[in-house]
Amino acid sequence: MKSPVWSRTTSRRRLLAGFAALAVLPVAACSGVQGGKDAAGGNYPTRAVQFTVPFAPGGSSDLISRAAAKAAEKPLGQSVVITNKPGANGAVGDKEVLASAADGYTVGLAVKSLFAITPLAVKDPTAIQVDNMEIVATLNQEDYVLVVNAASPYQTLEDLLKAPTIRYATAGVGTGAQLSQALLFKAANVKATDVPFDGGAPATTALLGNQVEALSASLAETMEQIKAGKLRPLAVFSEKRSTYLPEVPTAKEKGFDVVVDQRRFIIAPKGLPEDVSKALNDAFAEARKDAAYDKFLKDNYMERWEVSDEEARQHLKDAAKQYADLTAKFQLTFGSGK
Amino acid sequence: MDLAPVLSGFAVVFEPQNLLYCLIGVTLGMLVGVLPGLGPAATIAILLPITYGIEPAAAVILLAGIFYGAQYGGTITSVLLRLPGEASSVVTAIDGYQMARQGKAGSALGIAAIGSFIGGTASIILLTLVAPFVANFALEFGPAEYSVLALIGIFLVATLGNGTLIKSVAAGGVGLILATVGLDPIVGTARFTFGSDQLADGIDFVIVAMGLFGVGEILYNLEHRLRPQPAVLSFGRAIPTRLEWLRSRLAILRGSVVGFVLGVLPGGGATMSSLVAYAVEKRSAKDPSRFGKGAIEGVAGPESANNAAATSSFIPLLTLGIPANATMAVLFGALLLQGIPPGPQLIVDHPDVFWGVVNSMYVGNILLLLLSIPLIGVFVRLLRVRAAILAPLTVLITMIGVYSIRNNVFDMFLVVALGLVGYGMKKLGFEPGPFVLAFVLGELLESSFRRSMRLFGGDLTGFVERPVSAVLVAVFVLTVVIVPVLRAVRGRQAARAEREVVGV
Repeated sequence: MKSPVWSRTTSRRRLLAGFAALAVLPVAACSGVQGGKDAAGGNYPTRAVQFTVPFAPGGSSDLISRAAAKAAEKPLGQSVVITNKPGANGAVGDKEVLASAADGYTVGLAVKSLFAITPLAVKDPTAIQVDNMEIVATLNQEDYVLVVNAASPYQTLEDLLKAPTIRYATAGVGTGAQLSQALLFKAANVKATDVPFDGGAPATTALLGNQVEALSASLAETMEQIKAGKLRPLAVFSEKRSTYLPEVPTAKEKGFDVVVDQRRFIIAPKGLPEDVSKALNDAFAEARKDAAYDKFLKDNYMERWEVSDEEARQHLKDAAKQYADLTAKFQLTFGSGK
Repeated sequence: MDLAPVLSGFAVVFEPQNLLYCLIGVTLGMLVGVLPGLGPAATIAILLPITYGIEPAAAVILLAGIFYGAQYGGTITSVLLRLPGEASSVVTAIDGYQMARQGKAGSALGIAAIGSFIGGTASIILLTLVAPFVANFALEFGPAEYSVLALIGIFLVATLGNGTLIKSVAAGGVGLILATVGLDPIVGTARFTFGSDQLADGIDFVIVAMGLFGVGEILYNLEHRLRPQPAVLSFGRAIPTRLEWLRSRLAILRGSVVGFVLGVLPGGGATMSSLVAYAVEKRSAKDPSRFGKGAIEGVAGPESANNAAATSSFIPLLTLGIPANATMAVLFGALLLQGIPPGPQLIVDHPDVFWGVVNSMYVGNILLLLLSIPLIGVFVRLLRVRAAILAPLTVLITMIGVYSIRNNVFDMFLVVALGLVGYGMKKLGFEPGPFVLAFVLGELLESSFRRSMRLFGGDLTGFVERPVSAVLVAVFVLTVVIVPVLRAVRGRQAARAEREVVGV
């Protein structure tokens, strides 16, 4: 956005027009302030860093971003300003982050499912490529758990797989909740119908109300109900048992090679100057040690995922390939994807 | 029932700092409610980090205050500028705005504030008495029940406004079509997105409401710029007259009950409650033709209902750990951060928080009433502002509001496009109300119906095999099929009798 050009003859009309433009400026220019001259200097950061959260306020991705951003302000020496730009599982906001100047003043949260699961459901020729971004920091891993209503007769995964009909709730099309169950029931060769809901909360409600037989959801969405004895966990979809549910076996232990989880990390446009990249890395590494951040993770039943840029990149590629292979093997289809 | 924990909850509320947090909460809530766009959910999410350091009960009292405070604030822009910021205040915009144009903005806002207060307070009392019993009612509501409920709602939409039935139905139909934009809720196929991410999640309700109501109205008024405007000379008093009070008294009571019951339902409860309350008032009125032209019951009923619903939507969260709407989902997060797991154990393990929060709502509602009555006098003065200034100001508020939903410029273009649609509709005599509500309910109907079909294995008889759903089907058949048919038959008989009398 261009700033209004001021001439020396400031007539009343012109002044008014200027005020009108000023009134709109702070809003319209929120994302347009990056790319200043100070990006080149070695004293990054000299002003606030914009942190885009590509999800609506209030969800897990938003809350972890706010916790991390707050903890990063001290080591960074500048404020970190959160802006929510939700849409298309994060694609809208993240594309905007990557299209901005690579000066370290624009970073954003990204989730694994956008790279590993969304491509299975949505065909997008302009989708973000893993190699087209810089991963500034990795944050967390969130596990999925398969639960049934505690009043149901299913005590173990084997019991459930013997059920005459299985209708399972998911948090929506192209989510880890859907993929994990679709793969599990297909691998077990049982007939099951998926019922996608608009998010984890209504899906959990449906299971509590006995509308469906099973549900896979994140620990944060189900743990309170598990603790209250309303839901019974049968399996977790992580590589190893969850530290929050040590008694519950993994699907892998039960003989089904289904590992699905959600991971979150912070991205920036490719080509950050070396010192800027290092400053951001260090700041978020320091932020992850913050006590309030640690408490946030524990309160939300999240695991830490703290690896290097290369490792994270490799993990995303591997997961995308693995899910694509598995869905091809079982001939699963999601949405308009192939 | 053991009253000790309830009373000790009042002790929590009357701690000076908690009273202060309650006041801050409701005031903030009212302010964000006035500005369309930045809703209570976003505000609470932004304030969440600030609440880390304060006591659990105080934190939740503050955040809850923002939520129900916003319900009061939302009415103001609906009535004065015809900008409904929430789906639940769309129906208020219909008669409320007409009242404002007739110089009765003060009464409209006054009765809305009083209705909100009574609705909210009645709902807290009911919550206190029956919360644990009605909680399971929310679980009885599966996709099948929501399908039938949404269907009833869509048929009620046709009774809105004062246009002809056929035009209401047509507008509603277009609303239903617009609701299909975005990824298919069940299989994820992109629909009408034109290959763009921007439309993948569909169109936000606020954009549709702002465009059709707000921007459309402004464009329409611009056309009459050169002719003398029907100047709004008076605003009326904030305290309603005796006649207005008599008319609204029962509407407020009916609205409170409707709101409390439907508010318990997660998802769409508040919107349905305001719609049902409006329909109930119109049906029970002696002269239904006043509706859509500034009937005070059309403001009193829905406003009492949506506030009662706001309060009762806490029931699923506090007793079952189920967030009923986006704001409740954020409050769920807030409780977790405080180390208080929302769920069946909350009332047992943390009675001070449960009753502290519930009882703080009495205080909050009183504060809101005290805040709104004098503020009404200030806000209505907006109407004295010349159209040449007020119209651009309204557009500015709309644009900021729409932008703040997703921080997305695309949405601003969308609201302009929908504004043009709204202008065209107004020119041709179509009402935006049915359009907007059909848009909201269409999404609920489609996704719930298709989920039901999956659950029933494609068997339609499933709808009458579940008790609650069967009752709703009966209500639907009664109100939509049997009553109109009977009315038509009786009308024809009366006409024939008349003709015979004349013929003799």
